[in-house]
Amino acid sequence: MTVKVEVKEGGTPHNTIMWTGLIASLVCLYLGAGLNAMFNAYSFSFFGGLAVVAALIWGSNAIKTLCSYGIGTGVPSTGYTTFGAGVVAFVIASRVSWYYAPIVLVIVAAILGGILGYLANDVIMMKIPVLVRSTVEFVMVGALMLMGFALMATGSYQILGIATTQKSLLGLGATNFAGSFIGISIIAVAFILGMIAVQHPFNATLGPSWQQDRMLMLAAECGFLSLIPVAIISIAFVSLPAVIVSLVVSVVGWLYTYSQFLCLSKRDAAAWLDAKPIREPEGH
Amino acid sequence: MTVTPKPTGGVGMNPVANALSLILLIAIVGATYILYYSASPLVFTALVAIIVGGVLVGFGVHFVPVGGAPAAMGQAPGIATGVAMLAAGAGLAGLFGGAYAVQSNLGFWTSIVAGGIGGALMMAITCLFVTLIYTYGMGIPSASGKVKVDPITGDSQVEYKSQGTEGHGLPFSSFVGGVTGGFLGGLGGTLIYYELLMVYEDRLPVLLSASSSAIVPVAVSLAGIFAIGLFLVNAVLAAYNITGTTEGFHDPKFARFPRAIVASLAASAVCGIVAILVAAL
Repeated sequence: MTVKVEVKEGGTPHNTIMWTGLIASLVCLYLGAGLNAMFNAYSFSFFGGLAVVAALIWGSNAIKTLCSYGIGTGVPSTGYTTFGAGVVAFVIASRVSWYYAPIVLVIVAAILGGILGYLANDVIMMKIPVLVRSTVEFVMVGALMLMGFALMATGSYQILGIATTQKSLLGLGATNFAGSFIGISIIAVAFILGMIAVQHPFNATLGPSWQQDRMLMLAAECGFLSLIPVAIISIAFVSLPAVIVSLVVSVVGWLYTYSQFLCLSKRDAAAWLDAKPIREPEGH
Repeated sequence: MTVTPKPTGGVGMNPVANALSLILLIAIVGATYILYYSASPLVFTALVAIIVGGVLVGFGVHFVPVGGAPAAMGQAPGIATGVAMLAAGAGLAGLFGGAYAVQSNLGFWTSIVAGGIGGALMMAITCLFVTLIYTYGMGIPSASGKVKVDPITGDSQVEYKSQGTEGHGLPFSSFVGGVTGGFLGGLGGTLIYYELLMVYEDRLPVLLSASSSAIVPVAVSLAGIFAIGLFLVNAVLAAYNITGTTEGFHDPKFARFPRAIVASLAASAVCGIVAILVAAL
């Protein structure tokens, strides 16, 4: 039997990252939807993108927590669970009014994740101590990210906002389903963008001299990078000022996180370190 | 310093967990029957079909020869990538074929078989080119490490297996297993898609207060994304069951499939009912 041996030191504990990510993500979703409703505008849709980044940072650390046990199926399979069940939780939560939706989303995602984690841990007999908890977190992260993408692209995360678009032609309002977030399958684009972004950071940085801050910076970078196409997609749904705000937030965020990630990569590059035993900071 | 045992994918079944999963399954199906069968039988039949589809996916994944990183180095037989990757590829290819058949109004059976053939075709093409690359690119013969003779052709394997490896290349039985797995996965994925589409085309006009022709894009898109989601959930559960590499149906790990079927039953029931409730609630 192989064993997982690691020395823990330093780094941010996973619980801190989890609570910060969950609360930041929920606050951003409420801010975006609430301010949009208050000012009857789309300009605050970019908060959805910030919710995506917050959830993504949490998600990549949760994936690290599980995958340090060596699940044998590859890191990307966790991204599949994240979004496979997350998309179901997201759409059912979009049925309720905007001030309940994020809470309903978290509850439904926790139930789905708990059942899936139990099945994997006890029926499939994976017997990994953190598997149930990690699966709960994955499904929450996937659902929160999809909700953030929906808010950023359409200015709303409710079923009427994501399944319809309002077009006014010669002063007459017309409801169009074919061109909406769901109708034109932007949801599939968001699904793939998020799925790649959530599994990539740990998959790319794992191995000797893994550093938590470098992985989390890469997670933020992947998040902002995913937001750029979503900001461009939002041209079809929201007003021009909102698109410009979203685009500026995502491009500036991406440039900043990418330059920071480059600095951290240079810091951890082999040539810059003295020969030391390989340590693994806290994060599991 | 912490020392935690690494998962090895233990053998046997956990009776309590299996019983709980089956109780959950019966509770969900029973509740759906009581609440919906008299008013709209469609919801109940759709849930049952989605569960069957999920089980087909979970079972089909066990046939796919997965080699992972060792296969890329010629040290294990199978296709050199992860279970979830292969299953997703076969399932999505199947879903494209099946969805096209559904859209062309070719009927239930033609549609789901078209989905199965799409998945099988994708796996056949993958296996063919994998074999070409192994044989002519890497210069390794196909030899199974788990059986002495190929169960289908009866060819002896031992002489061709290099020492220190678990076999290499893609033996004939693994090829057949891959195509079978692709067929079952595509079939199951398309079954889920078809049934969800029927429910959404029936219920979404009420929910969105629109004509039934107007909501077709929303119904198709939702059914498609949920079919992908349910497919991935079942494929990952099956992948966890395999833990790493497998050669296909002649691998000893294949005997673990009952666990994955129980897990797929419960997981498809839970995710399926939530997906149906999106429109039926």
